[in-house]
Parts: sequence; C-alpha cells; structure tokens
Amino acid sequence: MSDTEGTEPASTEVQEAKAKYVGFVFDTATFTVEQDKMLAWAESVGETDPRFTDPSHPDFQAHPTFTASLVSRRVLPEDFPKIGGPRGIDGGKAVVIQQPIRPGDQLKASATIADIYEKTGRSGTMTFIVQRMSFVNQNDEPVSMVDWKMIRNP
Amino acid sequence: MRFEEVELGDELPAEHPDISMERVVEFTKAAHMNFPRFTDHEFARKEGLPGALVPGIMSQALLATMIHRWAPGCQILSLDTVFRGHVVVGTTPTISGAVTDVDDDERVVEVDLTLTAEDGRTGVMGTAKVAFPS
Repeated sequence: MSDTEGTEPASTEVQEAKAKYVGFVFDTATFTVEQDKMLAWAESVGETDPRFTDPSHPDFQAHPTFTASLVSRRVLPEDFPKIGGPRGIDGGKAVVIQQPIRPGDQLKASATIADIYEKTGRSGTMTFIVQRMSFVNQNDEPVSMVDWKMIRNP
Repeated sequence: MRFEEVELGDELPAEHPDISMERVVEFTKAAHMNFPRFTDHEFARKEGLPGALVPGIMSQALLATMIHRWAPGCQILSLDTVFRGHVVVGTTPTISGAVTDVDDDERVVEVDLTLTAEDGRTGVMGTAKVAFPS
C-alpha cells in the first residue's frame, strides 16, 4: 500500500482535502475480540488450518483479515467535503497483518484518511478516498492496518 | 508446499468455495454485517441487484483460506483486494492464484489472486504477500 497512488495531477478540491484531512485521526474505537466470532468467521469461509479453527491449538489466532469487519462509528471526518460526486462504490479493502490477534484481545483502532486521489477512465473521473483503520492491542502493539478504498463517481 | 518448491508462475490449486446462504449468514453474523442485501435474495432484487451478494470481505477471507491450504503454516503478511463485480450468494465461483514474485532472502512470496463469478465475470482481484516458515 503506497501512500500516494495518484496517477495524475489532483484537482484543486482534492488537493485542498488532502492537505486538510490526510493523516489526522478523526475517530477512535475499541473492540473486544470474541472467540466465538473468530471461530464462526473461520468456519464460514471453509478454513481448515487448526491455527484458526481449534481454540486448543497453541497458536490459535483470528483469521488474517478479521479486522476488515471492525469499523469505526464515523466513516469520514465530520466536515469532510462532498468531493467526487454522489455515487459511492466500495472499492475494496487491503489488510496488513502485523501480529496475531488472540481471543480476548482488546483492540484500539484509530481512523484516519490515508490518501485521496483521482483516476480518469472511460466513465469520467473517479475519486478515491482511502480510509485507514490502525489497530493496536492491549499491549499497544500494532496488530493490523486496514485500508478501505471508497470510490466516488460523478 | 514448501518455500524451496515455490517457483515464479506457479498456480495455486483452484477452489470452488461454498458461498451458500447458510455460510454467508454465518459470516455476516461473525462480521457484524447482518444486512438483507447479503442475506435476502428478494430484498436484494428489489434494490436492483441480481440477488443477495457475498460481502467483499468474505470473498477476501476465502482467498486467505485458499492460501493457507496451498502453503500450510505460512503467515499472510498482507492481502489487498479490489471489489470488481457482484458475487451472488448460492452460486459457484472459482478462486485461483499465481505466484508473481519470490524473495529468497525474506522467504516471502507474492501471489496474484482472482475470484471469478459463476457467469465468468471477475468478482474480486487481489494480491497477497505470504511468509513461509524457516
């Protein structure tokens, strides 16, 4: 995940939004990792590795992208401008796994805007807003980072 | 699959993951995503969708599962996915992958991943970095 994926010069409104919002924490949230949710997640996607399906395994941990489901109350900063048009698409999630997540872990998440950029294609200019959730555990160790690409179309 | 056996261009064994309504309902409960667009065909069709949709992050997790089966004991370091098209609950998708980079010093492999919907359209594309045990 690079910090800037823009392939063309950004418009003025995107430049202004980047300067104002990128990198600032706009929301925080806490989550308790429940064993039954970890197990249900792994089972529902057909996982067969006992590290993710057997709580008695010495290295039992959450499935790698488990944090992709943990979202903050606010998706964007409170006064975030309506850039890029009204139609929104979920462009995808990128998860970085830094440490195993164990049952009972208390995760603290900070939400930031990691990047804003534009790409122009056949259907016009799409604006990408990348929301980043950074998770640390109860020992303040980074465990996971999730980048959510939100696409706005005219 | 051991690291020493991995070669650039290797294909992961393709899978047809179970995305039955039962599995999707179980996933949405675990992922706090119990919304009718994922679990109710009739509701989804009224919204203009072809049917209830498999959540993008469930497809992402299916790709992780395939990697674990291909390389037991590996650690997925990152999994970047792009949600491209609809994947309808109860259909038969195909997930596949290929090795696109091998780092001998770090024992890390990069894998390109695709989930193809039953109608042949791309549902999800992704890239993973996978560390092999030493």
